[in-house]
Amino acid sequence: MKFSFDDLTPEIRRFDGPLTRDLVREPGKFGLGQVPARLLPDATTTMVCGFCSTGCGLKIHLRDGEAVNLSAETEYPVNLGMACPKGWEALTPLAAPDRATTPLLRNPATGDLEPVGWDRALEVFCEKFKAVQAEHGPESAAFLSTGQIVTEEMAFLGTLWKFGLGFVHCDSNTRQCMATAHVAYKQSFGFDAPPFTYADFEQSDVLVFIGANPCIAHPIMWQRVLRNPNQPEIIVVDPRKTETAMAATQHYPLRPKSDLTLLYGLANILITSGWINRDYIAAHTTGFREFAEFVTPFTTDRVCAETGVSADDLWHFAETIRDGKRVSFWWTMGVNQSHESTRTAQAIIALALMTGNMGRPGTGANSITGQCNAMGSRLFANVTSLIGGHDAKNPEHRAKVANILGLPEDRIPTQPSMAYDEIVQGIEDGKIKALWVIATNSSHSWVQHGKFNELLKKLDFLVVQDLYTTTETARRADLVLPAAGWGEKEGTLINSERRIGLVKKVKRAPGLALADFHIFQLIADRWGCGPMFARWQSPEAAFGLLKEISRGQPCEITGIRCYAHIDENGGIQWPWPASQADAQPARERRLFEDGQYFTPDGRARFLFEMPRPVAEPTDAEYPLVLLTGRGTSAQWHTGSRTNKSDVLRRLAPEGCYVEINPLDAHRLGIRSGQRVEIRSRRGAIAAAAFVTPTVQPGQIFIPMHYAEMNRLTFPSFDPYSRQPSYKHCAVAVQLMD
Amino acid sequence: MEAPRTLIDDLLEEQQRLTAVERFARKHDRHDLPAQARYYRDLIPLEKPGKGEQYAFAVDLDACTGCKACVSACHSLNGLDDEELWRTVGTLHGGHRHEPYLQTITTACHHCVDPACAEGCPVLAYEKDTETGIVRHLDDQCIGCQYCVLKCPYDVPKYSHKRGIVRKCDMCHGRLAAGEAPACVQACPNEAIRIEIVNQADVVAASGNGAHVTPGAFESSYTRPTTKYATSRQMPENARPANDTELRLDHAHWPLIYMLVLTQAAAGAYTASVASGWFAPFLRLPLAVTGTVLLHLGLAVSVLHLGRPLGAWRFFLGLRTSWMSREILGFGLFAGAGTAYAGALWLGWAVARPLAFGTVALAALGIFCSAMIYIDTRRPWWTARATLARFFGAAVILGLHAVAVAAASPVALIAAAVAQLLFAGGQASAEARAIDDEEHPWHRAARTAKVLMPKVRELREIALLLCVALAAVAFMGAPRSCAILSSVAAVGAVLAERLMFFRAAAAPRMPGGVPT
Repeated sequence: MKFSFDDLTPEIRRFDGPLTRDLVREPGKFGLGQVPARLLPDATTTMVCGFCSTGCGLKIHLRDGEAVNLSAETEYPVNLGMACPKGWEALTPLAAPDRATTPLLRNPATGDLEPVGWDRALEVFCEKFKAVQAEHGPESAAFLSTGQIVTEEMAFLGTLWKFGLGFVHCDSNTRQCMATAHVAYKQSFGFDAPPFTYADFEQSDVLVFIGANPCIAHPIMWQRVLRNPNQPEIIVVDPRKTETAMAATQHYPLRPKSDLTLLYGLANILITSGWINRDYIAAHTTGFREFAEFVTPFTTDRVCAETGVSADDLWHFAETIRDGKRVSFWWTMGVNQSHESTRTAQAIIALALMTGNMGRPGTGANSITGQCNAMGSRLFANVTSLIGGHDAKNPEHRAKVANILGLPEDRIPTQPSMAYDEIVQGIEDGKIKALWVIATNSSHSWVQHGKFNELLKKLDFLVVQDLYTTTETARRADLVLPAAGWGEKEGTLINSERRIGLVKKVKRAPGLALADFHIFQLIADRWGCGPMFARWQSPEAAFGLLKEISRGQPCEITGIRCYAHIDENGGIQWPWPASQADAQPARERRLFEDGQYFTPDGRARFLFEMPRPVAEPTDAEYPLVLLTGRGTSAQWHTGSRTNKSDVLRRLAPEGCYVEINPLDAHRLGIRSGQRVEIRSRRGAIAAAAFVTPTVQPGQIFIPMHYAEMNRLTFPSFDPYSRQPSYKHCAVAVQLMD
Repeated sequence: MEAPRTLIDDLLEEQQRLTAVERFARKHDRHDLPAQARYYRDLIPLEKPGKGEQYAFAVDLDACTGCKACVSACHSLNGLDDEELWRTVGTLHGGHRHEPYLQTITTACHHCVDPACAEGCPVLAYEKDTETGIVRHLDDQCIGCQYCVLKCPYDVPKYSHKRGIVRKCDMCHGRLAAGEAPACVQACPNEAIRIEIVNQADVVAASGNGAHVTPGAFESSYTRPTTKYATSRQMPENARPANDTELRLDHAHWPLIYMLVLTQAAAGAYTASVASGWFAPFLRLPLAVTGTVLLHLGLAVSVLHLGRPLGAWRFFLGLRTSWMSREILGFGLFAGAGTAYAGALWLGWAVARPLAFGTVALAALGIFCSAMIYIDTRRPWWTARATLARFFGAAVILGLHAVAVAAASPVALIAAAVAQLLFAGGQASAEARAIDDEEHPWHRAARTAKVLMPKVRELREIALLLCVALAAVAFMGAPRSCAILSSVAAVGAVLAERLMFFRAAAAPRMPGGVPT
């Protein structure tokens, strides 16, 4: 209750006053239109969003150099003045009360995390990792990193860990999201090269989305689809009737994980009907004859029986591809998170290749990336391949990298790193003794995390470097290093269409929090390898090193002069080699317009393999398939940031829920809103039931943002990409008392 | 001696240096023209509304795919409080196995032709703009009574504890006036929201019998909402809001509960005082004093419900349409008459006789106005019959208890117990019917009371049994003690009933998201 003597003024109706003025809007200048008067900017600057891989430009409203608000950037070529709610709220999570503001060290006596200074934190960090290394060797520690930090930091981390600290094993959460696309492209095109540019969304006449729900996961890409003037056919392949499936002109609700069979069936129809582009196949591909022979057993009867798609629908799908002049294929996690994901992605690539839908506007076999810098991670993190898409076993590559970074060649290990799941297995086997987790929340996100969290107890030392002290993983750490976040530091991100965008420093980090870049500088210094990293003076200096490393690679960016050059152009897509440095980069560029791929013979490959059954089929005891995925556009992964915004929290269901078909619900006596228990062989969780026909009978869906969900998932992996199959496991559901 | 600077010191200092302005900011680029105009130019009307016309939101449901950018853009571009939302996005779902249906629905204030918020406001803190039809809230006029929150069937006005007032969507009237689009229109990536000019008579005609803006929304005939939702898709008959089966507890409004119970008890006591003139004149004064004390206590408590009580003197502004204004006036007159009546009795003045009848009449009027406040919201749980029965029933039951205490009368206790049994019996059987019948207008409220308020229901039943038992005991002895105890129990029962009245009301709103 407020007592204000203002209210006693004799005016009969008060049209103005302090409360009214709270909401006054005034012209904001800088092309903004009206903005809240109390948040009027005195300058603006544009930077790229730090949530997903769309890579939207956000116009930051600055006052005295500090961000006070933001809006979507009209001029940025990606988002054309729009942003999703996460983008609009991007500054909010920085002000959360649970930010890590000082290093925290677990006190063995009390078991609590207690604040310590950086000096002590670095001392402990180096002591522990050196001790583990001395006792158990260079393979005894690992880091798990992220697609959420800037490229310069990823590169610094990967080179510091392997070349400076002398460890071998490391991986990142991009293993959970983009590893499949990476491997599929690398094998098929000779380089991890998503070929498209977002203009392709607008230029197709047929768009095929496989395992993708852009309306929710990539709303700004969907915006581009809606700007397509060709009244395109939009085909969605997804077991669920998602928002995107609703908006599509054709939806194929296939059986979960039958996508590879469906794609081979389509290929068979296209080939046997002669609806293929023989000229393109002959000029630019290898392996077609074997592929054509391979798919012959995928008859319409077989495919329909295995996928649940009717013969009419299957043929209609194929005919739509045939009739399309510019067909583009898009896939996301529904494909990538599978037990046979690499071959599935390559089956999509095969459809695009054999119909000649490559290298032209509105075409392509296009992987939509997940995280804001998964692409930076794939190219420059120095995790699976040698930095810059190089090969650690190739002596020329080793010499080149060593030379540019100014370190002895023998610091570069030839031994490949273990993948995420192998690192976890290493902990179980007692080989991995110390773990450093950077900007990811494995205790929530890793498959079957109940087991993962038990395994963490086996470690001698767990370091978590994060913005927040409260993530499920940070709470388990022995040492927490407080990181500055997006907007509190500089660097670059690479989006889905290979566009390098800039992150700027528009907020002060709280307390003693430091940019990951600075943390790596401190660790290099304290470890004793500071001089080896003397060239890593600043993020922009590091960017200079990456430019040099990219020279001669398909991802060459030597033509980008500096950060300001990126800023002026609204981001620059790779490649942009020095040979073109004087030209103005076009706003939208795609790859393979000349049909030349990055393989030694310049031809793209058809790669294929017999579909395999899922690792955990349903049975009488666990009769339902659990599907997982994104819940709402307001939630990002484990919610460590999005849950900090009141707005975003209110735009998403608060607790875990499970979508279940009315038939199953009726059989189990379940009504919407009731609490149900979902069991798998790995654990049980509780959730609120939501009865809806948008999931098919025999399937349930739980969003991935709720920490309990991954207690259920089954750890099966694609053999090539080692990506976990989050999208299929067997569960049972029952009503709780 | 100062410690030498370390790398840590250097990097911590560097971390705190903001670099965006010096390196990249566009300080000199001071374009006044909004850059976004190129995208929204076609989404707002070129002309101003004419006579009988107004602005309205028009939503293309085919393009609304649930990204919710409209909600956060509205929040950021209007500078709302952290938790304050003027726009929401809900979901409809339905269909069947082979043709499932899913539709997200963006919604804000409908800027109704007959805005119930404005009609209910006691101080005219709402203004339906004559030129644009935008329903604007005058924040400095608001006294925070929150009656508009009860009146709006779309859950639009939002109360701010921090400020003591409500606020709501103003369709970015200043932006529209300057030729700019509202924040939500500017920010929708799919151009699903536009501003149109609608003819108010058309809106009235279209909001006739049984029409509603979306499935699950309140009947449009109440407020004549202007938002138009268009879709080319066939909306299945079973399309329902995702939160259709959700049970939730509404705000308790404790000051209102106490105010209602106290004023109704006062009415009962006054009436008993007047009636006792015929059979036990010595009771007149104590009952009148009791009534006076209860009434003033009730009115004092009611102030606690106001966010900014000092502005309440403007209550008379709403008399033409607002039952809240009328209640304030009614209770004012009631308090005046009642106090004068008690004073006259005290002093033995003859004017007590006419005042007595005036007091009873004004008490009835006050209770009637109280009831109308809730009836006028058209919430199914707050029907005229049920609300009048609740409010006048409480006056009867508590008035009889006042007699029982003052006169130590077992007969009055029996009468009170019978009244309670009749009332509770009627209520319980109606609730039971509503729970069994999904189409019953009380279904959701009755289920809410049953499922979410079991303790309160139990309390009400125990209190009722106590009253019955004490009425029986009173015949054997200690009638005054029984009456006092029974009064406490009766007040408990009425409070429990009133708590369910508010919390189980299942306030109508636009379709929401998946409840958890």
